[in-house]
Amino acid sequence: MAQLVAIAGVPHNPLLYRVTRNGIPEDIQATMHHFEHFGGRMRDLDVDSMVIVGSDHFRRFKHDHSPAFAIGALDHYETTYENEIRHFGFDEWSVPGDAEMARALLGDHELPEDVDFAMVNEWVLDHSFSMPALFLRPEWDIPVVPIHTNTNMPPLPRAARFAALGAYLREAINAAPVERKVALVTTGHLATDIGGPKGFLGGPSADAAFDSEAVGWMARGDLAGAVAGCTVERLVAAGNVTPQFMNFLAGLAAADGLPANVAEGTPSRFAAAPFFFWEVDE
Amino acid sequence: MSRYLMNRFISYVDDDGGRVVEFHTDPAGYVERWRARASAARVPPPDGGALTNAEAQAFVDRDYGSLYAMGVHPYLLLHFARALDVVLDGTSWSEFVARYRAQVEPHGFPDFRT
Repeated sequence: MAQLVAIAGVPHNPLLYRVTRNGIPEDIQATMHHFEHFGGRMRDLDVDSMVIVGSDHFRRFKHDHSPAFAIGALDHYETTYENEIRHFGFDEWSVPGDAEMARALLGDHELPEDVDFAMVNEWVLDHSFSMPALFLRPEWDIPVVPIHTNTNMPPLPRAARFAALGAYLREAINAAPVERKVALVTTGHLATDIGGPKGFLGGPSADAAFDSEAVGWMARGDLAGAVAGCTVERLVAAGNVTPQFMNFLAGLAAADGLPANVAEGTPSRFAAAPFFFWEVDE
Repeated sequence: MSRYLMNRFISYVDDDGGRVVEFHTDPAGYVERWRARASAARVPPPDGGALTNAEAQAFVDRDYGSLYAMGVHPYLLLHFARALDVVLDGTSWSEFVARYRAQVEPHGFPDFRT
């Protein structure tokens, strides 16, 4: 049987790639240290499958449609869109997919009770998925199961639905009839505004009060507080892409609402970078 | 307003560096061709759409403040603007940021639901 052994919450800021190509600038070192630490713990725990909960940024799911929740069922993924090369200086990467785990999470003939997943059989992954995969495992050799959540195109699933997603993933991963040690990687933002008036602040948070409260939910294991606090209105007021924070609620719920071993909003030249980590004892 | 089509227009252009250059070279012609294909547009992916005159003019003028106010998704708008102003015009990042921010700031947080 598979076993969920670690849960991480990390950023996917694509600008980190370019600024770390020729050495790591001083203000980025704490951010990269967290990635290395989490990746190192995943190595120690012999993780051989990563379920990544992130939000595609209008690349695979555009304004014509975006499922609330979708699972990739491929056994191989290409990453990188042409405009990610132009905008972010990306290379093109590929990563194996854990199709067996994806099928186990989707259910056989019926979808699970609590989460309505769309199944995705054609998917080039964008930076929501490629950046966590790259920074946690630069060898690109651990199969992934990408799970897209619609946190960018309102109407969005409510916060409680992300908690339900996390609780389901914990149960379903541990019940999957495959031999795996699984890390659940969630990725999103603290208070972040892209293309709006709170953007471009050059380091300070778009909403320091939100960041403090949000990190506190993770540090204390306050799932009920997080669900109550994450209304779409409050999240958008903290910055137009802050709703991506809700992906971390899936991590907190999968951790059974326990306090995170690591919970931090790491400062740098960019918006505060979210880092949350739980080791799971079963 | 057709926020859906404005977002689709930006996605269509910025998905392909060649299209960004075409738009940059002749914005009015590019927008007009997009509108002319509206009746033949297929979804997905649409290669044309019935933008209103105000929406079309805002694209032609690269009027980011108006596009932002009309509810174009800010993430798409920023990258579209950057591709045109920074990459193709050669505007410095700091100058671009100052100008872009001044354009969107008066509009606060518009509704960007489609």
